[in-house]
Amino acid sequence: MARRNNAAGWLLVSPVVIGLLVFSLYPFVASLALSFCDFDIFNAPRWIGLWNYRTLFTEDPLFWKSLGNVLYYTALAVPLGIGFGVALALLLDARIRGLSVYRTIFFLPTIVPAVATSVLWIWLLNPQIGLVNMLLRLFGVEGPMWLGSPEWSKPSLVLMGVWGVGGSMIIYLAGLKDIPVSLYEAALVDGANAWQRLRHVTLPMLTPVIFFNLVMGMIGAFQYFTQAFIMTGGGPQDSTLFYALQLFYQAFQYLKFGYASAMAWVLFVIVVVVTALLFRSQKRWVHYGR
Amino acid sequence: MEGDERVRSPGARRAVAVARGAVLAAAALLVAWLFLLYEPPRAKRYPDREKVVFWHMWTAKWEKVVGEIVDRFNASQTRWEVVALVVPGGSLKTLIATAGGDPPDVMAQWDPVIPAWAERGALTPLDEILDPKDWAYLEKNMYPAVRAIGTYKGHFYGLSTGMNIWALYYRPSRFREAGLDPDRFPETLEELDAAAAKLFRYDAAGRITRIGFMPRWLSQWSAVFGGSFYDATRGELTLLDPGALRALEWMTDYTKRYGFERVQQFESGLTTSMGASWPFISGAYAITVDGQWRIQDLAEAKESDYRTAPIPPPEGGKPLACWSNGNFMVVPSGAKHKQGALAFMKFWSGVDDPERAAEFYTWGGWLPITPDVANARRYQQYIRENPEFATFVRVLASPNVQVSPPVPIQAYLMNRLGSAEDAALRGTLTPRQAMERLDEEIRREQRLQNAAATQADR
Repeated sequence: MARRNNAAGWLLVSPVVIGLLVFSLYPFVASLALSFCDFDIFNAPRWIGLWNYRTLFTEDPLFWKSLGNVLYYTALAVPLGIGFGVALALLLDARIRGLSVYRTIFFLPTIVPAVATSVLWIWLLNPQIGLVNMLLRLFGVEGPMWLGSPEWSKPSLVLMGVWGVGGSMIIYLAGLKDIPVSLYEAALVDGANAWQRLRHVTLPMLTPVIFFNLVMGMIGAFQYFTQAFIMTGGGPQDSTLFYALQLFYQAFQYLKFGYASAMAWVLFVIVVVVTALLFRSQKRWVHYGR
Repeated sequence: MEGDERVRSPGARRAVAVARGAVLAAAALLVAWLFLLYEPPRAKRYPDREKVVFWHMWTAKWEKVVGEIVDRFNASQTRWEVVALVVPGGSLKTLIATAGGDPPDVMAQWDPVIPAWAERGALTPLDEILDPKDWAYLEKNMYPAVRAIGTYKGHFYGLSTGMNIWALYYRPSRFREAGLDPDRFPETLEELDAAAAKLFRYDAAGRITRIGFMPRWLSQWSAVFGGSFYDATRGELTLLDPGALRALEWMTDYTKRYGFERVQQFESGLTTSMGASWPFISGAYAITVDGQWRIQDLAEAKESDYRTAPIPPPEGGKPLACWSNGNFMVVPSGAKHKQGALAFMKFWSGVDDPERAAEFYTWGGWLPITPDVANARRYQQYIRENPEFATFVRVLASPNVQVSPPVPIQAYLMNRLGSAEDAALRGTLTPRQAMERLDEEIRREQRLQNAAATQADR
C-alpha cells in the first residue's frame, strides 16, 4: 500500500521533478561546462579551459562597465525600494477610509508586465512631452534628458523601480500584521511616543521581512534586464549596459555562448557571496522576536 | 474576525456569487474561443507534394502580401509546396532551430546574419547549389548592393528579396517659404548645409520647432564622403578611413551648430516613426534621409508636398552613394529541401520570369534585385505612378552603394559603431578619438576571437 502511494506520489510530482531536472539542473550544469568552452551554438563546444574567465577579467572593458552599472543600480534601487516599501506599508497600515482602494492602487504597478511598464515609462520620462518633465516645468525646473542622458539613465530606471514597490509593500504589510499587539501595549504603558514605538518596536520586529526583501531584491537587481533591453538597449554611452544585458548580447547577438556562460557563473558567484555576507550580517540587525 | 468564513453577510454572499459567475463566464468565453474562433495553422493544400518550410518575419498587411506570393508559387508548381510561417524575432529562433537540427528550408531575414552564420557553416552557399545557368545570370545581372549583401568570403549566401536604399526627402513648400528653389535641389553637400541653415525654425525661447536637416548614421555618410569601413580586396576592416572620419567630423559640426541637447529635446517630442506618423509628414523636418518605403507611407497619408533626391556628395565625395541593407533569403545548412527553397527564391525575385516578379515588387513597393525586374512593364508603370520612387531605383544601380562590412563580428561592430558616433555627436570624444577607440575595440575583439579559436585548436 505504502509503495503504491509512493509511486502515485512520484507520478503526481513528476512534472515538477522532470521540469526541474531538464530545464533547471541540466542547463545549470551544462552552462558550467560551457563556460570553459568556445561555443557558438552551431558547432560543438571546444574546450579552452579558463580562457573565457581570464579574458573577462583582463581584457574586456565592457564586462567591467556592465558590472559597474549593475552595482550602481543595485546599491541605489534596493535600499530605496526597501525605504519606500516600508514607508508605504506603514502609511497603508493606518486605519483610514478606503484603505483597500489605496492598497490596490499601490499594488497595481506590480501586476503590470515589465514590457508594458517600460513602454509607459518611456513616455513618462520623455524629455519634451513626458509627464515628469511637464510637472517639473510647473515648478520652473527644466528636467533632464532622463533615458537619453548617460548621467540620468540609471537614476531614471531606479525611479521606475521605485514605482513598483507595491509587491514588497504587501509583504511588509503582512509583516506589520504579525507584530504582537502586546508589544505596543507594553510600549504605551512605558510611555513611548509614536516615533519611539516605530523605532523600537515596529522596525526591529519588521527586520526579518526587510531582510527577506533585501536578499530577494539584491538577487533581482543583479539580474536586471527587461527594462534596459526594451527602453535603452544599453545606451546611451553604455550607461545602461547592465550585466545581464551584456551577457545576453554576448550569447545571442555575438554568438559567444561559452563566454556568456562564464559571465553567468561570475555573476552567480557574486550573488552567492553577497547573499552570504548579508546572512552573516543579520546577527547584528535582524530580530526574530526572541 | 473569526467565523468570517461561515457566517457571511448577504452582501458578501452576493459578491461571491457575482465573482463565481464572472469566472464561469470567462471560462465559457475561453472555451468558445478555443472551439469557434481559433484558427489552426494552415495545413498543406497539396498533400502529395514535398513541403518546403518557409519562415519569415513579416506581419500584418505584409504577411498578406507574402501569403499571396506563396499562393502564386504553389499554384505554379507540381513538385513543391511552400508552407509559410511567421516567426517574429526570426533570427534568434532560426538560430536555435538550426542548433537543434530542425531549421526551416528557407528563411527571410533582415538582421545582418550572413557573415556570422556563414562563418560558422550554418548557411548553404547558394552559388554551389544553384543551377549554373541561374548563377551565371545572377552574377551578371544582380545590382552591386544585392551581390554585396549576400556575399561572404567569395560565396553567395543570401538572395535579396528587396533592398533598402536611402535618399533625401524634402518639402517644396518649406523651400519656397525659405526663399529656396525646390526645383533646384542642392547638388553638393555644402549647398545642402546652407539650405538646411535656412530651413531651421525656432520658437521665442530658442527651442527648435522644425529641423532643417540633421545627419545621422555614420555608415550612410561615410559612403557619401567616399569612405569605406572595409577593404574588400584585402578582406580587412578600415575603420580609420579618412573619408569616414571626415563624415563624422561633418556630422559633429551639425550637432555643434544646432546643439546636441536642443535637437535631442525636439526629436524626443516627436511621435514614433512608423507608417503615417512619420515626423516628416507632420512637418518636423524640412529635409530628411529615409528609405524607399516612405513613398507608400506618404501615399497613405495623402501627402503630396514632398520630393526625393539622391544624397548630394561633398567635395571629393561620391555621387549616388548611401548605405544599404535589405531583406534576403537564406537556406540553412540543415535544410531538407534546398532545391524547393531555390525554386521559391527564384520565383519571388524574378530570376526565371522578371515580368511576373515585377508585380510582387510593386505590391510591396520593394526594390528589385536585377535591372530586368526594374525594366519590366509592371515595374515601370509603378514608377510612372510614383515618380519620386525613381530616385531610389537610380541609386540602387550605383556602385557607390555600400553594405555593412561582411565580417563575422558584424553585430558587435555595428553596435560599437553606433556608440562611437553617439560619443562624437555628444562631444564626449572628438571624432578622431571616437574612431580610434572604435578601431581599438574592434581589433581587440578580433584578436580575442582568434585567440579563442587558437586555444581550442591546441
